[in-house]
Amino acid sequence: MSRSWWYRAIFLTFTVVVGVLHVIPSLFPNFDAKKFPVKQRINLGLDLQGGLYLIMGVHFPAVYKESLVRNGKQLESDMKKQGIPVKSVTLKEGSDPNDPFLLVEIEDAARIEDFRAKLKDNWGAVLRIVSQDKNQMTIGFTGAHLSYVNEKTVSQSIEVIRNRIDEFGVSEPVITSHGKDKILLELPGIRDVERAKSLIGQTAKLEFKIVEDQKLSETQLQALVDRVVNANKDKFPEDLKLSEYVRRLNELAGKEVPEGAEIAFERIKDPRTNNIVGKQPYLLAKQVDVTGEDLQDAFVSVDQQDNMPFVSLNFNYRGAEKFAQLTGANVRRRLAIVLDGVVHSAPVLQEKIAGGSARITMGRGNYQEVLKEATDLAIVLRAGALPAQLEFQEERVVGPSLGSDSIRDGKRASWIAFGLIFFFMVIYYRGAGLIANFALAMNGILMLAILVGLEATLTLPGIAGIALTLGMAVDANIVIYERIREELRAGKSVVAAVDMGFSRASASIFDANLTTAIAGLVLMEFGTGPVRGFAVTLLVGIATSMFTAVFASKVLFDFWLNGISKNKKTLSI
Amino acid sequence: MFHIISPNTKIDFVGKQKLWFGISMTIVFASILLIIFKGFNYGIDFTGGAVIQVKFNQATDTGAIRSALTKRDVAISVIQQIGEPSLNEFQLKLQGDVANLGKLTETVSGALAQEMGTGAFEVRKTDVVGPQAGSELRWASIWATIYAIIGIVIYVIIRFDMRYSPGALVSLLHDATIMLGAIVITQKEFSIQIVAAVLTIIGYSINDTIIVFDRIREVIKANPTRSMEANVNESINTTLSRTVNTNLTVLLSVTALWLFGGPVIQDFSESMMVGMIVGTYSSIFIASPIFLFMARRYEQRALAHKSA
Repeated sequence: MSRSWWYRAIFLTFTVVVGVLHVIPSLFPNFDAKKFPVKQRINLGLDLQGGLYLIMGVHFPAVYKESLVRNGKQLESDMKKQGIPVKSVTLKEGSDPNDPFLLVEIEDAARIEDFRAKLKDNWGAVLRIVSQDKNQMTIGFTGAHLSYVNEKTVSQSIEVIRNRIDEFGVSEPVITSHGKDKILLELPGIRDVERAKSLIGQTAKLEFKIVEDQKLSETQLQALVDRVVNANKDKFPEDLKLSEYVRRLNELAGKEVPEGAEIAFERIKDPRTNNIVGKQPYLLAKQVDVTGEDLQDAFVSVDQQDNMPFVSLNFNYRGAEKFAQLTGANVRRRLAIVLDGVVHSAPVLQEKIAGGSARITMGRGNYQEVLKEATDLAIVLRAGALPAQLEFQEERVVGPSLGSDSIRDGKRASWIAFGLIFFFMVIYYRGAGLIANFALAMNGILMLAILVGLEATLTLPGIAGIALTLGMAVDANIVIYERIREELRAGKSVVAAVDMGFSRASASIFDANLTTAIAGLVLMEFGTGPVRGFAVTLLVGIATSMFTAVFASKVLFDFWLNGISKNKKTLSI
Repeated sequence: MFHIISPNTKIDFVGKQKLWFGISMTIVFASILLIIFKGFNYGIDFTGGAVIQVKFNQATDTGAIRSALTKRDVAISVIQQIGEPSLNEFQLKLQGDVANLGKLTETVSGALAQEMGTGAFEVRKTDVVGPQAGSELRWASIWATIYAIIGIVIYVIIRFDMRYSPGALVSLLHDATIMLGAIVITQKEFSIQIVAAVLTIIGYSINDTIIVFDRIREVIKANPTRSMEANVNESINTTLSRTVNTNLTVLLSVTALWLFGGPVIQDFSESMMVGMIVGTYSSIFIASPIFLFMARRYEQRALAHKSA
């Protein structure tokens, strides 16, 4: 055998051995991989191992508004320092929620150009001027800043979710951004889907607000609520979300709600059935000084007296100070613990709390359920509040039994496909067919090995892709062999025909595979989950099949012609 | 040597091209009419909604399931049995907005548990898709198909020349349209799997078109004075073996997938089968006649230039 052949053969053997090593851990699941050089198993998609797949949209408008108002306040104080007193800064009603505006009114209309110039100089990167009129200016965020807020909100949300999921104990979760305004979540092997969803979807905004029971008594408050609701029955349908209910109520009650306060509700549960049977209104001070951000830690403890779990809170240094101040100034009044706008509880403050800790008691119920509730609450408080509201846009759950059935079906179909092709090639192309089958087997091994190496995810369509690729891979061999047959028919010698076959056919093999690759790339770009898995296997398969059909087959062919039976006059093809 | 197609075939493909072309265009036209007027049976991937796949331990039927659910006030729009009857597996479909759909699995399993007993069934999988995701997917699919077709046509132009690309383009559109027509006729659920199948066929069926084009180019070079018709005929005849065999092997794979791949990818396998068969046909009977047409136009233009 020629030297070039030896180099090629060694390279080929090396590749195959590396390939086989990568594949063994996946094919023999009970294999003890501790002493084995390659430990990685193939990454199974959710449709094969079961789990939860979520796409959540991030709701930006509230974030924009908050940020704009904050920037507005900053602008006001800035301008004051620079000698341009501002009369008012208000959020413009009816502006596009995705591009809200501020209306800024300055005291002296003559200074408007100054204001404009200072705005451009100091705030140009963040704010843009929408319109100007006498002493008023309408201001919005710049596109660049909006994008910045988007990115920050999404990445912050991902961090918070990641923290929560880590606590939940899911192995190998996938949490990434999806497009500009969505988050993709994959939790393999998860069993309690509902619990995971509520853990993830909760905004978990914790606020401590004082109950203003001096301004309106309980009966007065209840009467007010009833009055407003009855006067606007059509605005309060049965199935209205609580947050929307509260918003509309406060809006419609308008001036009847004392200045600086707002109405919020506590859900009343029937202790036996744990069903929500009503809601209790509270008049809360709008001012919030202490929030979940001031927490250092939150954990579950069990009350010694009634043996029920509760959530224990520890504030950080500043938080403890603020909390001491808040409680000290409001002894004998009630402090409402508000979670996501809903009053969780409103205990009476017996004394100033200077120790920097507090507790959130859970409702009544059976021990296990309360423990779960407390654990989950502690988790979300520790992980922090989500900066924006998330909405579930797509949710797919695959049970584990379907997953293992799918693996079984996929494997079976692939083996049968391989078998059918094997027979066809041997019957049609005989000896050369055998070589093609070798190449095909190598192709299969290399494909799996590359998927393991890339840590790519194998899905059920991916397994279908493997079966398909087996059929497509052997095409290259067929193209070469038909060419060889033609050359033989034209009277060329065996060696010459084989050479011609391989060299002439390469160009069209390359063309053909490239076009399938284009389709594969497009599929990979736009597909998600299982379809993406298919595209990846297709693309990997195209690459490996070009390698095995051309390079590997030639090595084997050369060996056959020069090593086994020299000076062949006819070819088994 | 074993042959399915004898190496000395001399079928006059070109002569009968009007016939083949006519048949094809009728089928394509019929497909387009079907697509416009009958429309696809869109799956929840595109319309939004929820699908719950449930496996029952005892034999049951859609009527029993529906009555069990309606007793508990759960409104299901479609109940469909999937896979072998012995599997007792059903798909329950629901439209509606995502907020309520989120709780759906709980509601449905609760209702089934109360009516049939907790151990009587197993929820195999659930899919909930919001309407926004649905319409986004529709646009993404359309763009993906357009990009793939454009990419491939550009590639053909680069590798060959302008005379060949219309043939490639038409045969691609022909394959995609007929595949979609078959879906409409059978009213199979149009899911993202179908889109994946269409894209894969678009990428794959162009392969034998390219093989034929390659040969045409070679034959023209070897026989510059012979008529285009004769050249094209020879090209198709000599590549026939290749075309049939390469498609046969992939068809074997797809058949294995279809018969043994299980219910989850069944729609995909079936579409692939239709696509493969149509794709083979189009390389032989569509791509080359169009090339011929284009080649003649170029020839005439070249002649007109010469005489001018």
